[in-house]
Order: sequence, then structure tokens, then C-alpha cells
Amino acid sequence: MTMTPTTPETIIETRGLDLWYGPVRALKEIAIPIRANRVTALIGPSGCGKSTLLRCFNRMNDLVPDCRVGGLVLYHGADINDPAYDVVELRKRVGMVFQKPNPFPKSIYENIAYGPRVHGERDRKGLDAIVERSLRQAALWDEVKDRLHESALGLSGGQQQRLCIARTLAVEPDVILMDEPCSALDPLATAKIEDLIDDLKQNYTVIIVTHNMQQAARVSDFTGFMYLGELVEYGETLQVFERPTKELTERYITGRFG
Amino acid sequence: MEQTFTVAEVPRVPPRSVNRESIISGLWLLCALFAVVIVFFILLFLVWDGLPAFQEIGLVPFLTGTTWSPTFVPPAYGILPLIVGTLLVTIGAMVIAVPLSIATAIYLSELAPYRVKVAVKPAIELLAGIPSVVYGFFGLIVLVEFLRITFQVPSGESMLAGAILLGIMSLPTIISVSEDAIAAVPREFREGSLALGATRWQTIRQVVVPAALSGITAAIILGMGRAIGETMAVLMVTGNAAIIPSPITNVLSPVRTLTGTLGIEMGEVAIGSLHYHALFAVATVLLLITLAVNLGATRILARLNARTTGRKKGVSLRLSGIVDSPQTGKVVLGLLALLVAAVIGAVGGLVSAGAALMVIIVLAFALPRLSRRRSQQLAFLLLYAAVGVVLLILAIILFDIVSKGLPALSWEFLTGSPRDLGRAGGIFPAIVGTLYLVAGSIAFALPLGIGAAIYLVEYRREGRLTRLIRVGVDLLNGTPSIVFGLFGLTFLVLFLGFGVSMLAGQLTLGLMVLPTIIRTTEEALRQVPQGLREGSLALGATRWQTISRVVLGPAAPGIITGTILSIGRAAGETAPILFTAVVFSQRYLPASVFDPVMALPYHLFILATNVPGAETNQYGTALVLILLVSAIYAVAIAVRTRYHTALRL
Amino acid sequence: MKSHSTTLLLLGMAAVVIGALFVAGCTGTGGSATPTPTQAPSTTVPTATTAAIGTPIATVGTASSATTAPATAGTFVSNGAKGKISITGSTTVLPIAQALAEAYQALNAGADIQVSGGGSGVGVQAAGGKTAEIGMSSRDVQDTEKAKYPDLKIIPMARDGIVMIVHPSNDLSSLTLAQIKDIYTGKATSWKDVGGKAQPIVVIGRDSASGTREFFNTKIMGTNATVSTMLEKNSNGGVKSSVAPNPGAIGYVGMGYVDATVKALNISVNGTGIPPTVNNVVTGYYPLSRQLFYLTSGDATGLAKDFIDFTLSPDGQKIVEEQGFVAITRTA
Repeated sequence: MTMTPTTPETIIETRGLDLWYGPVRALKEIAIPIRANRVTALIGPSGCGKSTLLRCFNRMNDLVPDCRVGGLVLYHGADINDPAYDVVELRKRVGMVFQKPNPFPKSIYENIAYGPRVHGERDRKGLDAIVERSLRQAALWDEVKDRLHESALGLSGGQQQRLCIARTLAVEPDVILMDEPCSALDPLATAKIEDLIDDLKQNYTVIIVTHNMQQAARVSDFTGFMYLGELVEYGETLQVFERPTKELTERYITGRFG
Repeated sequence: MEQTFTVAEVPRVPPRSVNRESIISGLWLLCALFAVVIVFFILLFLVWDGLPAFQEIGLVPFLTGTTWSPTFVPPAYGILPLIVGTLLVTIGAMVIAVPLSIATAIYLSELAPYRVKVAVKPAIELLAGIPSVVYGFFGLIVLVEFLRITFQVPSGESMLAGAILLGIMSLPTIISVSEDAIAAVPREFREGSLALGATRWQTIRQVVVPAALSGITAAIILGMGRAIGETMAVLMVTGNAAIIPSPITNVLSPVRTLTGTLGIEMGEVAIGSLHYHALFAVATVLLLITLAVNLGATRILARLNARTTGRKKGVSLRLSGIVDSPQTGKVVLGLLALLVAAVIGAVGGLVSAGAALMVIIVLAFALPRLSRRRSQQLAFLLLYAAVGVVLLILAIILFDIVSKGLPALSWEFLTGSPRDLGRAGGIFPAIVGTLYLVAGSIAFALPLGIGAAIYLVEYRREGRLTRLIRVGVDLLNGTPSIVFGLFGLTFLVLFLGFGVSMLAGQLTLGLMVLPTIIRTTEEALRQVPQGLREGSLALGATRWQTISRVVLGPAAPGIITGTILSIGRAAGETAPILFTAVVFSQRYLPASVFDPVMALPYHLFILATNVPGAETNQYGTALVLILLVSAIYAVAIAVRTRYHTALRL
Repeated sequence: MKSHSTTLLLLGMAAVVIGALFVAGCTGTGGSATPTPTQAPSTTVPTATTAAIGTPIATVGTASSATTAPATAGTFVSNGAKGKISITGSTTVLPIAQALAEAYQALNAGADIQVSGGGSGVGVQAAGGKTAEIGMSSRDVQDTEKAKYPDLKIIPMARDGIVMIVHPSNDLSSLTLAQIKDIYTGKATSWKDVGGKAQPIVVIGRDSASGTREFFNTKIMGTNATVSTMLEKNSNGGVKSSVAPNPGAIGYVGMGYVDATVKALNISVNGTGIPPTVNNVVTGYYPLSRQLFYLTSGDATGLAKDFIDFTLSPDGQKIVEEQGFVAITRTA
């Protein structure tokens, strides 16, 4: 956090973002800038809309029936909700790691190679290199290098989640969305993932949704606090945690909430 | 239920409820073993009656002889043409049905809006409720004529007609069961793939379908069982000439299948003659072919599973080298293309073969060079086309029956008894009889089938016993309906002394639908996440409590699908009740299960084959049968939809 | 969980409904051992079989209610035997037996005659094994069957003419037996070979187990093998359905099946075309005629005997002819 240079570029930005699930308004006029090569944390109580907001950045909400989006989500200045926008290209550049590890029922190798394959990589040697590089980046290589062709479902939860991160990295995205990536993991595995996030921001922009405020404080450069579908406060993590401008934020952070 | 133990007296055998548990599990074991025992009985009975033929004719001449002419002097009993005919028709049916079915299942599960899905899926399942005799007549009058005129051949009764008809008949089974399997693939897999920037098509092809492969394979095996075992429809359209097509790719040659031979000759043959024994030998061979096909399919499934999930190290490494290599894929595709071209060439001459080859070559070069968006568009286009074809088939068949059957419908037709050999009067006793038969067969097969499936999935790790039971179930599934009929006649009617009776028919039909129920229930249970079971067991629930309260609920839609398909099949089959349960007329409704009954498919069969001048009532009967099946479906589908909604919320 | 329990309840209800249907099936409408009449809620339509016991069925108008008059032509007197008999076997004979049963039940209120068909083999087995009171066969009982069921009685009950049928557009009107043989041995493959236009012949016949085929082989084929490409059908209706739409087809069916959708050929004997009429069958001028049989195990008694008597009575034989067959009692 201390190394943060001044005025980093904004890679994603929402303006007046609204979202309805049927009649329920889940997001209300969200305006948030996401800085490139930084880690942004979204915090807030359950049901506040932080995961929904995260899924707006790669249009994962498209899969939810009855979901409507209003307002703008700009990625590199382009409106990603424009019907002409190639959502597949978007998702290639904005990767996602889910709350529950969701490796495919394939081998470890095939899980990593899946992304490059669907994007046209055919060369076996090229794939081998990608697989190794991604697994190394995700700090998983040493643990699995001897069993690349075994089922990914045989890995532990923490390993599965790192595999999912490696799988995302293999596509070489700009942005990685992480939806409570450690909620199903033990402290040791959590620590590994947090270290990993710290490494990742050299090359990637990371947006992480978390319930764990210590985690947010530890890994993020910027923090957004959400409550009932609204973005209550957004700023540099240090500022949000130490000098929150809103009383709501302060009460939530200090645990005097509800 | 308080039970307190001091450390010293903690019993080695844990408390009471476990005893109940073992009784319950024993019960399910009995259910599961039942299928094996029945198969064993059927086999024994076939072999027993077939043995004299094997002895007298000799195994090799019987299997490799090319002339089937049992009433000629001297008689010739060579079944090679029949074996070839069966294989050709079945392979042809699968070539037609599998792509259409899987495409339709993918469409229904992945692409169709919810409303379209709830309308289309039952409509397709309705295809399963159309009696095979109706398919036969549709095939003879519409399909065979279409082929005759299109291909300018003297007669359209051919292998192709049989393959198309059997393909259509196995569509509902394959579609329904695969759709359930695809829909059961967890949403996380789809999200994970889409989040990597895969297109929907790539997600479907590389993640969803492989994850559903076990269910899809089960679906294909079930469908193939239906195709191999079908009797009444196939014998109406294949021409039944016992010849090997020359050349073998001549799909317009008439062929005769093993089932067709049983269907047309069994009723007339003199009991105890060599011809009679030869027919049982034919049935034995048929069952063995079914066994081989099923074992082959199971093995392929295991390999595919190993490859896609990488579960077995050795196998996967060895196979990934073979199957993954793009060269092998290309070679296989190339061979397939040549085969298609050869078939088209046999039908339409050199020019069209060349044209087809050109198209295939162009496609082969163009496809990999298409952008992902284009290839998705192309794939979806093909999916829509497949769904269109399936719906078109459904529409044509239904239109044919409805338009010809509607004039017959009247109050008297529904509530009266037949007069003048069914040319006049109504079909009320046949409606009642069919309801009795269906209700009885389901009441018999449903508990037994669910019990067997529960045992296989919930109580047993995969092992020798489960494999044995599963082989038994698959065999039962592939057993031709006419063989069930013969078994029912010999065992239930004659040996157990039930006589030609409703009970004998209900049990025979129940045996016939048992494998469908077991297979679909098994798949449904397997799709229930392990976490649910663990969650319940961790709360101290017993195994049976867990199954009955936690597992069966989510599995219900799949079980209901199996039941629906079974009801349709039981309602529409003629062959199993032909010798066991039905009469063409009776003065009174049956007073007990030991009385024979009238039944719609049999009534239809007699009207169609042996009562001149009953065409209108023949179609009227078919229409009523379909309406009846639809009504039963409507109830089952309503229940299933409720489950789906309940699970969604 | 609430929605779960309701859906479970629904499933349970469905199971109960199915179970109830099954029980209903077991106990019948009345739950008693005595047969209940077919209870169709169609009292508005006074059709005979839906009416209560005792109402005579008047399907065949000639069957007037019997008096004590002697059995002259037109009046059969039932012996009034009560109960239930089952008649099964040849599907060719089934329509005759069914029509006879309908008429007979009109005369005998206490009779329940159940007719079904599975084939001549089934008829022999059912009669011999006594699972049915009367068997039906369209072929001669074979030696193996006689050996197995030595008590079997064979009762000829009707005659049938086998008719060669072709598509209505076929311009031929008659064939000789030799020409038919050439067609069925595969020697003649085009209609031109037998005097018609140049069009391939599609040969359609019955399955090798059928009585009709056996008869056809005896009368026409002799020791010559049937052409292997012959399309085989397992019923008269099946043969007709295949011939009707196909301009090149030829097939053979029982007389009763000939209608406007097909064209019946005359058999040419010494240059004269002999049409398949009742008279020609009886006189034997028409060469392709055969008998149909009832089978019983030992001499029939009671209801079965009465029904057979009815069949062979003038009333019964009249019904045989109404169904398109030829009375066994008729003489030239």
C-alpha cells in the first residue's frame, strides 16, 4: 500500500449502475472507479450487493433470469453492456474466481489448458508451457507437478481454489474478479491466497469481495463499503479503515453494527 | 429414544435403528437382485427352448448360414442375414437418433427459454407414448411411400425405413434422459467456463456435455435397447426379406431383423417343431447381441469418463495420447465422412456422392478457420435445425393420427363396447383394460425399480455385485418386448397357472419397464450432491432417513421422467400382452386380476391387421390411446414441474 | 423445506391414485366373484353390449329370438349353457369367430365368449393345453402338434379363397398359376415378363410360419424356393397395406380383405380368367381355396359345444359369409 504511486489509471468505472432481480432493486446508482494494477476490496454485510456488483464487471449476471441492468459499466472506457460489445472477449480479459472452488471434472492439466484451448491455442508445447507457468504463478506447481493428469477433484479445497486462480491466469486477463475466494478455506490456505493476490497486482488488477475485514485491510489498496445495494463509501483502504467519512462505515468496521 | 451408555457397556453392535436399517437395505438388495434373477430365468428359458435347435442345426451353420427358410424342404436355418439386419437397422437408428437427441437435449437444457422447455419436453415424451403399431402404420403409409417416391425404388420397405422409424422411436428416451443429465450439471461449471471467456458453445461442448456424459451414455443405452428390442413397428417397414444387403451400404435394400423374425413367425409356428426351437435360438442370439452391445457401451463410457475426469492415472495417460491427439480425431472424422459419402453414393449414385464428399471437405477445412463467434452461430444453427427436425417429426405423426382419428371420436366411441368386430361401437372396455394394465405394471415396477436403484447407488460401492446387477438391468432393457411376451406366456400363464389374465399382463409389462425405471432413478440419485447426504448423516440421521428425507426429493424429477417413459411404453406395447393378457372382445369388464382384459394397443393391432374396413376406428383407437397417455403424462409432468420449481426456490 | 413436503405429498397422492387404480383392477367394479356387466355410462345409447344382462344383442339382424321351433334354416336354438369360454389362435379366423360370438351372445344371455388372436400355433397350443376352450387355426395341424396333443379334435368351420392382389393401376387382369410361380420364385422380375408394362415387380408374401403361406407354397410353389427379396408380412392386413400404395406390388390375401384400395386378379386356367367368387371357391373352379379350423381338446361340451354348433348352423354359416369367407356347409 505504501508503494502505491500517485494517480493510477482507472480501468473499470461504473456510472449510475442500477440492477434489478425481477422487481427487487439490488444495486442503486453505483459509481465506482477501479484502478489498474491495484487491489480493490468490496466489503459489506451479507446481501448488500457486493457480489452482484462484482458480477456486473464480467456480465456474469447475464446468466441470471429476470436480471436487468441500468446505467453504465465502462471497461477501458467502453460500455460493456452495449449489445454490440463482445461479452466473450470481455470475460477473457476480466477473469473470475468464485467463492466455492469450481474446478471442472477434468484433469489438473485439462483444467488449466481449457481456457487457452477455447481461445485457440492448439500447440501442445505451448499449452504445456502455459500450464506450468500458470501453476507456478498460483504457487501450486510444486504440489501438483507429478500428477497433472489426475482429476482436479482430488485436490484439497485450498489447492482447488489456487487451481481456479491458475486457470484464470492461464487466459492472461487484465482484471481478476474474486468473489470471497477464501471463505471456504483454512487460515493457512487463506494466507497462501493472500500472498498470491499481493504478487498478482504486479501484473493484474484485482477486485476482491470479502467478508473478512482484516483480509480487506491486508490485501487491498482501495476499499468500497456497500450497504443495502448502495456504495456507502469508497476510498484508499487506509483512509476507509482509519478515517471513514460515514458513520455507517465506521460502525461496520468497528463491529458495532446492526 | 434416550440411550445412555457408560463407557464399559457401549455395545459393539450399535443401537436398534441399525437393525431396521439392515432390514431396509436387505429389502433394496432383494429388489436389485430381482432384476438379475429375472434375466437369469429369461435366459434359462430361452436357452432351454433354443437348445434343440443348436443341437440339431449346429451352432456354426446356424450362425453363419445365409438362408433363412424354415418351411422349405429341406428347411434352412441360417440367421446371418437376420443378425446383419438387426445390426444395420440398430446402427442406422442410432446414427439418426443420437445426434438429433443430444442436440435437442442440449437445446432444451441450455438454450431454450423456460417456457419453451416446459412445453417442448413433454411433447417429445409424448412420442414415447405412441403405440409401436401406430409407428408401424405411420412408417408403412407415410415413410415407406416417401422413400419409394424420393429414391425411385420399387419399394420403400427397407433398412433405411426401419432405421428412421426406430430412430424416431428412441428419440424420446434419449432426449429425456440426456436432458435430465445435462440439466443436472452444476451451474458452477458453466460459470467457471464462461468466466474464462469461453463462448456458450465452447462451454457446452467442452464442459457441460463431458460432465453429463455418464447420463448421456445411459440415455443412449436405453434408447438402443428400445431400438434393438422393438418388434411390431420394425416388422412393418423393413420388408422382412431375409437377405444381406448387397452391397452392404445399400440402405434401400429390404432386411429382416431378429425381432421381426420372432414377431412374424412366433404366433403361427407349430409348438415343439424344429422351427419353434430355432426361433428360441434366435431370441437367445438376440439377447447375447444385446449383452455384447451393452458391455461395449459400458466400456466406452468408462474410458470416456477416465479421459474427461482423469480419474484413473494409467488409463488416462494412455488414452489421452490416443484420443486427444488431433490426428486420431481427424482420421476418425475422415472415415465417417467416407462412410456417409458411400451411403449417399449407394442411394443416389456417383454424382451425389461426389457432391456430399465436396461439402464435407469444404466443411472440414472451413470449420477450424471459423471465428469462435461464427462457429457458435453455426453450432446453434445446427442445434435449432435438429430441434426443428424433431418437432417436425412429432407434428407429422400427431397430425397423421389426429386428422385420421378425429372423425371416429364420439361419446359412444369412448363409452360403448365394440360391435361388428370393432368397426362400430366403442372401445370403453379397452380403455379400462389399458388403464388396469398400466396401473398394475407401474405399481409393480416402480417400488421394485426405485428399490433396486437405491441399493445400487446408496448402499453399494461399485463392485462385482453392482456390475452384475447392472448387466442384468441392461440385458433386461435390451430384451425384446416379444421375448417378454413369450416369457410371460411360458412362466406366468402356463407354469404359474395364472392363465391369460390381467395379472400376467401387468407383471410382464412391469418387467419390461423395470430397467427404464432403474436406470433413470439411478441417474437421478447419482446427480444429488454428496454434500446433501453428508449433511444429513452428520446430523445423526440414519442412512434410510437420509435417503427418504433428503435424497429422494431432489431425485424425484428424474424418477418421474423414468416413470413417464415407462407409462408411455407400457400403454403402447402389444407384444408382451399378446400372449399373456388380452382378448379382442369380452362381454364383461374383468372382475378380478385373473380375468383377461381388452387393451387399446391390441385392439388397434387386430383392427389394423385382421379386420378389413376398420380404418377409421383404428385411428380413433390410436388417438384415444395417445390422449390417455397424455392425460397420465399431464399429471406426472405437473408433479415434476412442481419439483423443479420447488428446487429452484 | 415447506415446498418440499407439499411436493412429496403430491407424489404420494399420485402413488395412491395409481395404487387405487390397481386395486380397482383387482376387485373389478363390483368386487364380487360373479361377473358384472360392462358398465358403460352410455345408457343413452342403447347399444346391445352396453346394456344389462339379458338384453339380446341384435348386431346381426337375422338372429331373431328363438322359439321352440325346430332348427330349420334361419333359427338356431341355443342349449342355454352359461359361463365363459375363451377362443384364441389364428388371426385370420379371428374376425369370423368374433362376429359369431357377437351374434351368439345375443341368443344366449348367460354366455361370455372371449375371443383373442395370437396365431395358429397359439391356437393349437391353447386348445391342446386347455388354456382355451376353442383354438383357431388357418393351417393344418402338424405332426409334431398331433404328437404333443393326441386328443386334439379338428373341426373345419369355413372356407377361404386366397386372392392375388395388385395395385389398382396395374393393367393386368389375370395370371396363370405358372406365372404366379415365376413371380414368386424370382424368375419373372418385371411385369413385362407376365404380359404387363415394364415395371419391376415388388413381391409381397406372408411369413414362413403362416398357414396362408404354407397353403400358397403347396398350391403354387411346389419344391421351388421363394425369391429371397420377397417382402414378408405377418397378416392379411399387412400384405394389403403394402400392396395398396405400391404400383409395382403383388401380394396374396384372404377373400375378405379385398376392397377398392387393391385390384384382385383372376386366375387364368386354360385361357379362362376365373374370378375369386364364393361360387368358384365352392365348386373348386377357383384353384386357391382352403379350409379354416376350430380345435378342441377332446369333444367339446357345454357352452363350447353350443357355440361350435351355432357356428356350423345355417345362422352361423351365414355370418361366415357376411365376413367375406365361404360357408363350409355350402355345396355347389
